[in-house]
Parts: sequence; C-alpha cells; structure tokens
Amino acid sequence: MRIPILKLGRYLLISVQVELDDQTALQFQEDLLNKIHQEGSLGVVIDLTSVDMIDSFIAKVIGDVVEMSNLMGAKVVLTGIQPAVAITLIDMGVSLQEVQTALDLEQGLERLQQELGG
Amino acid sequence: MNNQSCIEIGNEWGIVSARQAGRELSKNIGFGSVDQARITTAISELARNIYLYTEIGQIELTSVVKDNDGREGIKVVARDKGPGIENLRDVMVDGFTTSGGLGAGLPGVKRLMDEFDIESMPGEGTTITTVKWLR
Amino acid sequence: MKSVVLQHLKDNKSLYIEEWRKSLEQHEFTKQGSTFSSKDMQQEMKDEFISVVFQSIELSSEENRDAVHRFANRLIYNGWAFSEFIRSLQALRRVVLHNVSANFTKEEFVDVSVEFEDWLDEQITRLAEEFSKIQNEVMTMQKTAMKELSAPLIPVFDKISVMPIVGTIDTKRAAQIMENLLEGIIEHRAQVVLIDITGVPVVDTMVAHHIIKASEAVRLVGAECLLVGIRPEIAQTIVNLGIDLDAFTTKSTLKKGIEAALELTNRTIETSEQMQSNGGLKR
Repeated sequence: MRIPILKLGRYLLISVQVELDDQTALQFQEDLLNKIHQEGSLGVVIDLTSVDMIDSFIAKVIGDVVEMSNLMGAKVVLTGIQPAVAITLIDMGVSLQEVQTALDLEQGLERLQQELGG
Repeated sequence: MNNQSCIEIGNEWGIVSARQAGRELSKNIGFGSVDQARITTAISELARNIYLYTEIGQIELTSVVKDNDGREGIKVVARDKGPGIENLRDVMVDGFTTSGGLGAGLPGVKRLMDEFDIESMPGEGTTITTVKWLR
Repeated sequence: MKSVVLQHLKDNKSLYIEEWRKSLEQHEFTKQGSTFSSKDMQQEMKDEFISVVFQSIELSSEENRDAVHRFANRLIYNGWAFSEFIRSLQALRRVVLHNVSANFTKEEFVDVSVEFEDWLDEQITRLAEEFSKIQNEVMTMQKTAMKELSAPLIPVFDKISVMPIVGTIDTKRAAQIMENLLEGIIEHRAQVVLIDITGVPVVDTMVAHHIIKASEAVRLVGAECLLVGIRPEIAQTIVNLGIDLDAFTTKSTLKKGIEAALELTNRTIETSEQMQSNGGLKR
C-alpha cells in the first residue's frame, strides 16, 4: 500500500488515510524523500487527521522523516494529530520535540508560508 | 459480544490485526476514545516486540471484571516462545533499545495500561500481562 | 426459640427507654464542623435513635436494615457526628446490664448477658455498616460533582481560548483536564490556549509535571500553551523545587497573557485614540 503525495506549487501535501503498518510507513518515508528531491520542494504538510493510533515505531519513522526532509531543505509541518493520539504519545514519553505542528491542513500551509516568508 | 480473541503474530500483518481486534474489543467494553488509543498503542508495542524478537507468539485479548468493585476492563496477554529477556531491569528503562527504536516500548506500555506484569525465562519465552480498567 | 433477653427488653420497654433517655442527658450530640445544634434538635435525634433501636426487637432483620438505613441517611445528610451514637449504645449496655443483674438469678445472668451483648454488637455493626455504605455513596457523588466542575475551555477571541483551573490537581483530574483541553482546542480551532492557575492552591513537582505534559500534548495537536496566573508564592515554590518551566511562556496575569496571545496571532488591542492617530483602522 502506498500513501499518495500531492504537489501544490513549492509544497507537498500528504493526507494519511490508511491504517499505518510498518511497511507502509517505511515506503512512505522513501517516497517522500524521493519526491522532495525530484520537485525541489521547500515545504511539506503531513495531515494525520484520520490516523487513530501512533505507536513508538511509527512515531520514530515520522520523527526521522521530518529530520531527513529538513536535511534536504524542506520544512515539515504535521497537522491534525487527534487528542487521543497526542495524549497516548505523551504518556509513552514521546513528545516529537523537533517537529512543527498545526491544527489542520489550512493552518499548516499558513505556517509554512510564514516561515518561508510568503 | 465476542469477548475473547487470540491473534497469532507471525508477520507484520499480525501487528495490524492485533490492534484492530484490540480497538474493537475496547470499544465494545465502553472505553472512551483516549483509552481506546492507549490500549491499541500498547497492543501494537507488544505485538511488535513479538514480531521483532521472536519467531512466533500470540496476543490474547479478554474482557475481564474486577473482583472488588465489579469494574470492567480489558486484559492483554502477549506470549511468545522466543529467547526470553535476560536483562529485565534494563528493558523497563526509558530509552533502552536493542532494535534502534525510540526505546519507549515496554516502559511506554506500562504507563499506558493500569496493570503490568512480565515473566521471562531465558531460552523459554516471555509472557507479558497487562490490564486496563474502565474509569 | 425467642430470646429471653429480647423478651425482657420488650416487656420492660418503657422502663428501659426512660432510663436510657435519662443516661443520655449528659451526652452532647454534635454536628460535624461547628454547625450549631440546639438542645431540642439533639433531643429529637436521641428520641429517634432510641425508637429505631427498640423497634429492631420487633422488626424482621430485613425491615430493621431498612429502618437503620433511613436513619443513617438522615444522620449523614444532617451532618451528625457518628461516634456519639456508638457511645449512646454503650450507655444502653450499662443501663440494661445493671437492671438485668437485679432481675435474673446469677446462673441466668451469664447466658442473658451474653445474649444481650450479641444483640448489641449486631446493632452497632449494622449502624456502622449502613453509615459507611452511605458515606461511600456520598463520596462517589462528590467525586462525580468534582469531575463535572472540571476546567472548561472558554474561547475569548478568535483563535484564543482560556482554561481557568480551580482547585487541587490530582492524576485523575489532570487526565480529565487534558482531554477537555485538547478536544476544546479542536472544537474552537484555538491556536493559543492560556492555562490560568490563579485558582490552584499549590504547585508541586507532580502538578508541574501534569502541566508540562498537557502543554506538550497541546503542541502535538497544533496549538500553543501560555501559563498565566502565577502568584509570587507559586513562583517561589517553582524555583525552590527546581521545576524547569523554561519551555513555557509564562505571565503573571491573565491580562498580560491575553496580550501575549494576541501578539502570537499577529493582533493587538488599541484604544480609539491610538487608532485615530494611526490613521484609521489597522489590520
């Protein structure tokens, strides 16, 4: 299973709509990095509204993908993390401190625009 | 209501089916969305440990009732016939990892659930029993 | 076989009631706390207690339990101190044993007094059981009430919400507050939440830990937390305990917090004079 990556100008948009198993998550990591390279994207919004569980492995993959994207010059914003998911992550001691967040896709894009100077 | 199930964890798909079964059962028991996420995540961590460190094992899910006050809850038992854990004390420390993960696995599970018990014999396998009670 | 001592109590009911009443005159029935209780109210309570105890001789065990339950209920809701009722039963013991020794032979006395002690113990146990049962019910009710009173999230401006926390924070309440907070953020589309701890009496490491956890979760769902209402003594304990709140933006008052929150969302509050001197509306 592959997660679709949409291009919007200099940004990439990803809305995760499937239950994330390990293989899908790793495949996504690879696809996203290739796409950033290919398109020369400056910003990425990953929307997690439909994701109802993030365990430590998925959290690690997400944290890694953010760090890797940053290395390639693309800022990543995670959006739509559900309250239940956020509380569970905090309980587990995973706070994804380096990661930027926003409430939803719209505010995520706004945030990117602010950071990249319009 | 099907209040007991047992999922074999032999490959990655087992992880997904175990947590789906866990979400279903915890919903049926009446857990709120936050506790459902906690339980599903704990099951995912336990199932992943079985998948990563042993050939085969299983996750048993049961709905249970507390003796003293009749509260309902869910019991999750992870059982495997793997190599066992030699350094039980180490694996319960945050950040300790042998797999390259975040090292939040077992201590994380302990914080997500209300009761946590681990039994392990090197060479014979490991059984982890956890329970979450309705609030 | 009907108990000898109960028959004796029944036959001499008025005598015993009279004597017991007299012995209770010295007893001061008090209410919990320092709520005033008049002599009349006390007498009423004593009489009711006496009649409940003597009724129990004639009632079935089931009916008796109901009567005791109703009595215990009134006791708790009116705030009477429990210990005095136990002491009254002990007073009854002295009255009865004194009279019994005069009315029975020495041989009978042993059996009769054992029988009586059993009956009295049963009364004490029953009263204590019903009392603690009701007290537990009251406690559960109060806990639920506490939960309902738990911190609401109030939207004050577009994108800005305030959560005032009043009272002590324990682990259970912290979990409840966190859920309210996060769900409220999604509902009101808040970008900044001000957590106002003016009404929190003590901030120890535990409370600070809960607040830090909440703010991390708030960041994950995509909003930001400001901590406001930090009184001088709270600031002192936080520093003395070595609690690290560096990751937090903190303000002493809600007013300053709201100003900071507006700034974070690129807005300011201006007086109409300021607006005029700036040449009309500014966005």
